[in-house]
Amino acid sequence: MRLDSKEIELARHCLDYALENGADKVRITLTKSLLNLVGVLNGEVDKTSHALDRSLQLNIFADGRYGTFSSNRLEREGLEQFIREAIVTVKMLEKDSLRDLPSQERTVKDAAGGNELDLYDPEYVNMSAEKRRDLALGSMSWPLKDKLEKGFTLVSEEGEYSDSIFDSVTIDSNGLFARHTETSFEIGYEVTVEDGEGNLYSGYWWDATPRLGDLKIADCSATAIERAAAQIGPKGIKSGKYTVVIDSECASKVLTPVLNALGGFSLQQKNSFMDGTIGKKVFPEGLTVMDLPHSRGETGSRLFDSEGVATRDSAIIEKGVVKEYFLNTYIAAKMGMEPTIEDATRVKVMPVGGCRTCKDILEKVKDCILVTGFNGGNSNSATGNFSYGIEGFLVKDGKIEYPVKEALMTGDFLTLWNNLIFAAEDARLCMSKLIPSIAFAGVDISA
Amino acid sequence: MIYSKDYYLGLFNVDFPSLDRLVQTGLSQGGSYCDLFFENTTYGSLLLRDGAVTSGGSHIDFGVGIRVLCGEKTGYAYSESTASQDMLACARSAAQIADSSSPVSVYGTPNPSRGEPNPLADRYPMQMPWRECSMKGFLPFLTLLETKVRAKDPRVVKVMASLAFQVTDVLMYNSSRELKWDTRPMGSVSVTAVFSQSGKTENKSTSRSFRTGAEMLTEALAEEISADVVSGIDARFEAIRPKGGKMPVVMGAGASGILLHEAMGHSFEADFNRKGTSIFADKMGLRICPKGINIIDDGTLPGNRGSLNFDDEGVPGQKTYMVEDGVLTSYLHDRISAAHYGVKPTGNGRRESFRYAPIPRMRATYMESGSAKAPDLIASVQKGIFVDEFSNGQVKIGEGDFTFFVKSGFLIEDGRLTAPVKDINIIGNGPQALADMVGVADDLKIDPGAWTCGKEQSAPVSCGIPTVLIKELTVGGE
Repeated sequence: MRLDSKEIELARHCLDYALENGADKVRITLTKSLLNLVGVLNGEVDKTSHALDRSLQLNIFADGRYGTFSSNRLEREGLEQFIREAIVTVKMLEKDSLRDLPSQERTVKDAAGGNELDLYDPEYVNMSAEKRRDLALGSMSWPLKDKLEKGFTLVSEEGEYSDSIFDSVTIDSNGLFARHTETSFEIGYEVTVEDGEGNLYSGYWWDATPRLGDLKIADCSATAIERAAAQIGPKGIKSGKYTVVIDSECASKVLTPVLNALGGFSLQQKNSFMDGTIGKKVFPEGLTVMDLPHSRGETGSRLFDSEGVATRDSAIIEKGVVKEYFLNTYIAAKMGMEPTIEDATRVKVMPVGGCRTCKDILEKVKDCILVTGFNGGNSNSATGNFSYGIEGFLVKDGKIEYPVKEALMTGDFLTLWNNLIFAAEDARLCMSKLIPSIAFAGVDISA
Repeated sequence: MIYSKDYYLGLFNVDFPSLDRLVQTGLSQGGSYCDLFFENTTYGSLLLRDGAVTSGGSHIDFGVGIRVLCGEKTGYAYSESTASQDMLACARSAAQIADSSSPVSVYGTPNPSRGEPNPLADRYPMQMPWRECSMKGFLPFLTLLETKVRAKDPRVVKVMASLAFQVTDVLMYNSSRELKWDTRPMGSVSVTAVFSQSGKTENKSTSRSFRTGAEMLTEALAEEISADVVSGIDARFEAIRPKGGKMPVVMGAGASGILLHEAMGHSFEADFNRKGTSIFADKMGLRICPKGINIIDDGTLPGNRGSLNFDDEGVPGQKTYMVEDGVLTSYLHDRISAAHYGVKPTGNGRRESFRYAPIPRMRATYMESGSAKAPDLIASVQKGIFVDEFSNGQVKIGEGDFTFFVKSGFLIEDGRLTAPVKDINIIGNGPQALADMVGVADDLKIDPGAWTCGKEQSAPVSCGIPTVLIKELTVGGE
């Protein structure tokens, strides 16, 4: 189900056609994906879905102007008309001399085959409706619901198994040809349990991987139930400053806004609390955050960004110093800086404090709030202030005492990260951001 | 906006025999119901940044989704081509959900007349259809908007303004031989301004979104949006995080209605209740808030972002009372849940596009006005907060727990609004908050912003509320 030679030839034709009809430069990205999904509910198949998508995206540069266009109608004649109209639209816009394709020196050279990062699983072609159904149903807890631990009942169990293949080819009028192919296999379960008093609690767990053999299916449903049941009997806590440990399932919540603030779009619009921090030590000495996009066989790895610019393994923050802004060709030109890549790809927070797991951290810090999920809240991109609803547990002497309710975590990201005391080594490989369980001292909790 | 039936049949290159063949193929494995959803969406966008409209574009999304129901089970497949062989392959794929031993439910009564006449109402006529306008004509509007924003506040250092519009043609056919068609416009204008004062930076965004044509792009709209985006900035620079705790909360009229959408509306969606996962699953017919309170989900407001002539299952758009005089009277239904509960669908079967099967979704969700006066509600609070803008609400359907981020508001001290507050959260429990609504003012306002609901799929919605006093919620602060 990868793009075939006719489809790739169509993309080349569209590029030539745009150049012949008034475009000065063109970039085209052609994508194709196929997803099959089986949803299950309470021990039975509830839904199936079959989704085949193709899309052709054009970035057109004409007369010093720029526009983006896309269509999923890939008949040649229709596309030619679409391209002619697109060029007319581009020429209506105001001039912007800074718009350009990335230079050839910056674009990827070693991504012509698509599977250079080993993200394609040949097992994908052997998947069948029966296999998918078996995988979705196979680890459900519903058939065993009467044998579950006393103290709660399983009200509902929904699950989804899906597999997909994604293939893309990016070409431009500077001679770029870059291909990315990956398969993905995903399983997830969401359960609702009821305690003896009629209160409902929900829990979710999932896994995803480019290779079916690496998919952790067996414990998924049981983990979702465990997470739901653990919330039974929540109690309020007192407001105050706490050591907070955030488990690896949800720790990206406090790093993603920092990465966004290092993005050129926010910086150029003066809407970033990280403005002016490049080359400066604004985080603690112990904090190093890497971008490792070339990790073979791992979720989220990529050899190039959407402009076709080659990614590279590099430090985003090294020993507390900000080493990189994410600047695509256009934003870099507007800011008068050297372009980098447009976004972080596969971020990894390096270990701090010598703990391997969340449990190790709890044993070290003794008394804390363990955060296992966030419920609402937001952050201010200009100031870095945040306020998030939290779900989790009060921990005493390294052991969980009880789940907490109606609690909020507030602060600002720079202060929070400067109070980092531990970063474990338990990041979930199914996520594109490898953020392990992390601990911060002196966090404001309102409850 | 509704064209003739032949326009839609021609657009998707289908006729009644081919539609019937697809439905028959969908039901060939024993399915009890099959529907087809054809969609042709054209999008346009323009972006003003750094003083010029230097980027824009257009996009086309075209295809057909085929759904087969077998009891309450769903088989779904879609094709981006309406060539006969592609659609038949999809129908065969969707048909696989059924097997000969599956139970059969009846969804609607067969209708040999094929559902004509189609339009019960046209809730979004276009005077200036987007597709018939040149995008060049829209550029001056964005420039005017930026000029007005900058003129209103010298602290503005950046303005980003965007216009996005789309027109969606849909054609729906089902195994009850009902044929429906519609053309749905949507125009949205958004502005973000960044302000600088004494080395501090603040930002504010606002938007307007309507199901209408390009006639919405008036100087009056530019004036309204520009005034909105600069309003309250003094307060933001001065705002504090208050001391947290439990306290009365007054929700301002309009955008605070998002709390109604998130914390209550989702729990009224019938799929959650059918599966027993909503906290309201066993409360139909029971009192859930004080007498006099009516909560509505409405698809009939002219030009409203959430309005629909037909939902995405071909059910006529309608106004649904979920709570009447404080009593839970209806969930929001698609065809599956309506069959489950033995009631009529409420026109809430919605989908993001032909790529998704429909599920129960809200439209315009609001609370009707009460009899109190907003100033009196504020005056009745000794110590609490007034909230006029929320964002990023989240709710746990089973538990009913919600958290909302307060973008702007004020402390209430001795019955008066005092210090501005921002960047805090309010947390509570949906049923408890409903029960604790002790005052509802007479000033219902439907917010005109570009609200998008993200339940599994994106869907345009709107929300509204009069000024409401809630006896007690937890407010997070320093």
